[in-house]
Amino acid sequence: MSILDRLRGGRTAHDVDPLLVELQAALTPERVKMDSAQRSLLGKDASMFEGGVSGPICYPTSTDEVVAIAKIAERHGRAIVPRGAGTGLAGGAIPLGAPVVVAMTKMNAILEIDEENGIAWVEPGVINLDLTRHLTPRGFHYAPDPSSQQVCTIGGNVANNSGGPHCLAYGVTNPHIAALEVVTATGEVLLLGGLDAEPDGYDLRGVFVGSEGTLGITTKIAVRLTKNRPGVRTLLLSFATIRDAANTVSAVIAAGIVPAAMEVMDQKITRAVEHYVHAGYPIDAGAVLLAEVDGAEAGVDIDADRIRELGIANNATEVRLAADETERALLWKGRKTAFGAIAQIAPDYYLHDTVVPRSKLADVLDQIYEIADRHDVLVMNVLHAGDGNLHPLLIFDGREDGVMERIQAAGEEIITASLAAGGVLSGEHGIGVEKQPFMDQLFTSDDLDHQNRLRRAFDPTCRANPGKVLPMGHSCADIQQLRSVPTGVWG
Amino acid sequence: MDLHLDADDLNACVQCGLCLPHCPTFRVTGDEAMSPRGRIHLMREVQDHDAPLTDEVMESFETCVQCRGCEPACPSGVPYGHLMEQTRETLADAGALTPLWQRLAFKPLASPTLLQTGSSALAIAQRLHLVPKRLGISTELPIRRRPLEASGTDVYFFTGCVMDAWQRDVHRSGIRVVEAAGFGVTPTNELAPCCGALQAHAGLAEDTRSLAKKMMANLEPGRPILVDSAGCGAAMKDYGHLLGTPEALAFSERVFDIQEWLAGHMDRLPVAEPLDLRVAIQDPCHLRHVQRVHDATRTVLRPYVRELVELDDEGLCCGAGGAYSVLQPDLAGQIRDRKVASIERSTPDIVASANPGCSMHLAGAGVPTVHPMELVDRALGRADTAP
Repeated sequence: MSILDRLRGGRTAHDVDPLLVELQAALTPERVKMDSAQRSLLGKDASMFEGGVSGPICYPTSTDEVVAIAKIAERHGRAIVPRGAGTGLAGGAIPLGAPVVVAMTKMNAILEIDEENGIAWVEPGVINLDLTRHLTPRGFHYAPDPSSQQVCTIGGNVANNSGGPHCLAYGVTNPHIAALEVVTATGEVLLLGGLDAEPDGYDLRGVFVGSEGTLGITTKIAVRLTKNRPGVRTLLLSFATIRDAANTVSAVIAAGIVPAAMEVMDQKITRAVEHYVHAGYPIDAGAVLLAEVDGAEAGVDIDADRIRELGIANNATEVRLAADETERALLWKGRKTAFGAIAQIAPDYYLHDTVVPRSKLADVLDQIYEIADRHDVLVMNVLHAGDGNLHPLLIFDGREDGVMERIQAAGEEIITASLAAGGVLSGEHGIGVEKQPFMDQLFTSDDLDHQNRLRRAFDPTCRANPGKVLPMGHSCADIQQLRSVPTGVWG
Repeated sequence: MDLHLDADDLNACVQCGLCLPHCPTFRVTGDEAMSPRGRIHLMREVQDHDAPLTDEVMESFETCVQCRGCEPACPSGVPYGHLMEQTRETLADAGALTPLWQRLAFKPLASPTLLQTGSSALAIAQRLHLVPKRLGISTELPIRRRPLEASGTDVYFFTGCVMDAWQRDVHRSGIRVVEAAGFGVTPTNELAPCCGALQAHAGLAEDTRSLAKKMMANLEPGRPILVDSAGCGAAMKDYGHLLGTPEALAFSERVFDIQEWLAGHMDRLPVAEPLDLRVAIQDPCHLRHVQRVHDATRTVLRPYVRELVELDDEGLCCGAGGAYSVLQPDLAGQIRDRKVASIERSTPDIVASANPGCSMHLAGAGVPTVHPMELVDRALGRADTAP
C-alpha cells in the first residue's frame, strides 16, 4: 500500500448493501451517500446531542422520489428521518438507529406565488430568508422569522412550528401554513389543509405542523404571505436590571399595544453581540429591550412614544430610536446572531427554550440566575420577552472535567422552574430528543397515550423519525424500531 | 492525522450553521460536506479522531473555493480561511493534495520572463483556436505588452504575475488614475513578480513565504503599495500572519487595494462627466469578505458613472477562485450560473469587478466585465481605448 493509500484509509465495501443499491436506483448514485464523512456530518445538528448514527443519506428532488425512498426504507424495515439545514437545537433531526436520512436541501424551489390570494407554494428546502427576499420586491414577506432565518428551511420551520422575534404580533409558523403535501413513512402522499379560508373537517394540517417529522415528510408547502407595513419604528431601551426590562414588556402588553417584536438581552449576551456587529448596543446596561412597532405611518409614532414612556416609567436609563433602515438592520443582525456570538466566550453552549406566563418573567429570570450560580455555570439570557419565551444559554467548555453534569443539572432545574411557574417545555425549538424526558412532567400518561394514537394514525409502523418527541414508554414501537437495526454493519 | 490546526481556532466553531447559505458550494449542492461547518467538522474528525482521509473527505477540502464568504457571516469569528490554508498545507506536504503537474504549473508565476513568453505563446495559440475552452481563458490575451514606466516614488503599484501578462492594460488604467490624483507611481515589475496567493490556496505556503520575503526585501520601506487585484491584495495583507514577523506585519499594513487607497484621496481626483452607464458592482470575495474594503469601490466609482447598482446575492462568490475554475470546472460553472442570474436581475449595462480572475470567469459566461479603474480612467478621458 502506498503512503497515499494509507493516508486516504481503506474503503469499506458497502456497495453490495441492497438497501443502498435500491435507493441509488430510485434516485441516482450521486444523490445517495453512504460514506463515513457524510454519515458523520449528518449524525449531528446544531444541538449538543451526540450519538446520532445515520444510514444512507438521500437527496431527493421530487415528491415521487421521497415516496420511493419511503417505500424502499419500509421494505428494508428502516426508519426515515427528514433533514433541512441542520440548525435544530433539540436534536429533532439526529438520526437514531441508522435510519435513511432524507436531506431536503435540493428541493428548494419557490413553485408559485399567488399575490391575489396571498399564498406561495414552496418546496421544503427553501431557506426562510430567501423566501422573504424573493417576496420583498412584490411588497410581501413571510412573517415567521426564526433567528436562524438566514439558513433554516421552511420545511424545518413546519416540522418545529418555529417562532421568531416577529411572531409576537404575527403568530408562529402554524397560522402561516395554509396547506401541506406530505409523504408518510409508508409512502402515501397526503394533502393536508387547503387554500379555502375555512377548510371543512378536522384540521390535520394543524396536527402535522410541529410534529417534528414523526408523522411524515413535507414535500410541498402553501405559505401565507404577509403584506409589508409602510411604517416601522425600532426602539432600543437600556435598563439597569433585567427585571426592569421584563416589567416594561408586561406594561406594554397591558397597555394594549401589540408590538411586532419585543426582545430582551442581558448584559453578558449584549456584550458578546456588540463585539460582533458593532451596532451600538450599550455594553454597560444591565439589560436591553429591542422593541419594534409596525403599521400605518401615522400610528407607529404614537405606539413608539407610548413604549418610550412605559420604559421610562420602568426605570429605563436610555431610549434610542433606530435612525434609519441600516441601523435597524444592524440591531436585528445582532439579536439574530446572538447564539453564534457566544463562542467568543466558550466553545460550547446549551440553549434552552421554555415559555412562562409573561407576568412571571421577572421571577423566573431571577430563579434562572440563582440556579446557574448554584451550579457554577455561566448563563446568559436572551428572550422573546413579548411571548414569555425564555432562551437561557448555558455556556461552557466541554473539555472541562465534570462540566456536563453541572450543565445537565442546571438545565433540568431551569425546566422544572419554568413548568412550576405554569410554563411549557418548548417555545419554538421543538421537543426532539432534548425535552423528551420532561414530557411526562407536562402531560399525564393518558395525554401521552392519546398523542401516540394520533401519531400511529399517520405512522402505523413507527418508522417516521423514531425516538423523538414522545417519551419511550408512550411512543408506539419506537423501541423495537430502534433495536431492529442490523448491528455491526454501520461501524 | 495531525493537520497542525490550532485547537482554539477549531473550537471557535459552535456548529450553529449560520455560514451555510453564504458558502457557494453548499448553495449549489445542498450537501453539508461542501459547507464550512461540514469542512470544519471533518477537520476535527481527521485531527482529533484520526478519521481516514477518504476520497470524500479529500473532495470536501478540495472543493472549497476559499472565497471566505463564511467569515463575515460567522458570529463566532472562526478564522476559516486560515484553517483551510493550514489543512491544505499539511495535506500538500504529505503528498495527498496538489499533484506534481499543479505544482509545476505554479512555478512560472514567480518567473516574469517565463510567464510572459508563455503568455505570448498562449496568445498566439488562442488566435489559432488551439486553446481548449475548459481552461476558461475567455478574453483575448495580448501577444506584446508595452512596459510600465515609473512616474515617481510616492507609491508602489503592484503588477504581479498573470494579471500583468494578461491584463496589463488594466494596470495602465489604474496607474493613470493614481497619477491623475497627483501621485508619482513606481510599478513593481520584476521587484515583486508574484504575491503567492494561488500557491497558498493550493497548500504550497512555503512557496508563498519565499515570494513574500523576496518582495519585502525588494520594496523600499515606508511607501504605500497599491494593488488592483483583490486576491493579491488579500494575500499581501496576510503576510503578517503568514510570516509572523514584525517586519511582515509592518509590510502588510502598507498594502492597500487601489480603490481603498483612492477612496481616501477623492478630493485629489479630477471632476469629470460621468459615463452614461448603469454599472453593477460585483465584489470580489477577497475584497469584500477578506479585505472588507468593498465600500471603497462604490465611493470611487460613484462620481464617474451614471448609476451604480447592487447585486441581490449578498456578495456570494462567482466561482472563479483563482485556479478553482480550472480545477473544479463543474462546480465553478454552477456557482457562476447563480451569479449570472443575479447580474441579469440587476439589468446593468456593464459589470465592474476589481479582480482579474472574477472578470475573466464572468466574461467566459458572456458577461461584459471591466475593472472599476478602467471606468474611472475612461471617464477621466485618459484611456487609450474605450473598455
